[in-house]
Amino acid sequence: MKCRECLEHLYEFLDREITPELEQEVREHIEGCEPCAGTAEFETLYLKFVQASCRAQGVPPELKRRILHELFGE
Amino acid sequence: MRPIAKPGRARPLFGPMPGPTPAPTPVDAKRESFEREALVHLDALYRVARRLTGNSADADDLVQETILKAYRAWDQYEQGTNAKGWLLTILRNAFINEYRRRVRHPETVDIDAIEPFAVFDRVQDDDPQGKFFDRIVDDEVLRAVDQLPESFRETVVLSDVEGMSYQDVAKILGVPVGTVKSRLFRGRQLLQKQLYDYAVTNGYIKRKDG
Repeated sequence: MKCRECLEHLYEFLDREITPELEQEVREHIEGCEPCAGTAEFETLYLKFVQASCRAQGVPPELKRRILHELFGE
Repeated sequence: MRPIAKPGRARPLFGPMPGPTPAPTPVDAKRESFEREALVHLDALYRVARRLTGNSADADDLVQETILKAYRAWDQYEQGTNAKGWLLTILRNAFINEYRRRVRHPETVDIDAIEPFAVFDRVQDDDPQGKFFDRIVDDEVLRAVDQLPESFRETVVLSDVEGMSYQDVAKILGVPVGTVKSRLFRGRQLLQKQLYDYAVTNGYIKRKDG
């Protein structure tokens, strides 16, 4: 596998949405290629960062109360 | 979400011992399963609604409407399957049908017209671990997400924030899995670029031409 192909499939690889055959090819490429390994690490950190930042937000307590009241009259 | 405590059944001090607990009524059972399987996703529904509508008043209404619709249709949901995907589909359909025209104008985006931009290429020498990300506060990240074109925004939010599979995202949005993949590829690049530009503007990192 070449770098270009590896980067093409990198997100599928990181998202665990890849066929077992490609998974192995990407893994082997990354193990032997420093730039691609660096990209993979960076993308992993980025995805974790975005998820953590955006998940800090949740349903406002007042809305939750209103919904429970609508549903169950409490 | 914590289930709501049911009022305790008072045990009589005198008189006969209470018999066996009566079987739960259908209403109790419905409520119990709805709390356990649906209401635990309230935070996720709110986050997605907030990103779709772009404002909190419409997000409130959209979430409330979604939950009421879901509760009415609860017997159509096959318990123990993918409640989050089922709820998000209801929410997204309600958004398309009732809110989108009002609050946002869907823009058509030519994916190929978006210039590829790999942030890693710019930062690999100075900050290969992306430490500059950690200096960006949550609100700024949310603002950057809100600036993505709608088709990328909803794909990124469902996948990257809510952790839905490609297949689930495709089902919720009614597009092929291949479209989800290409939108994620570009959407992530766009968002990274936004965050990178923000970090450069604020002096968290030095701009570097790729």
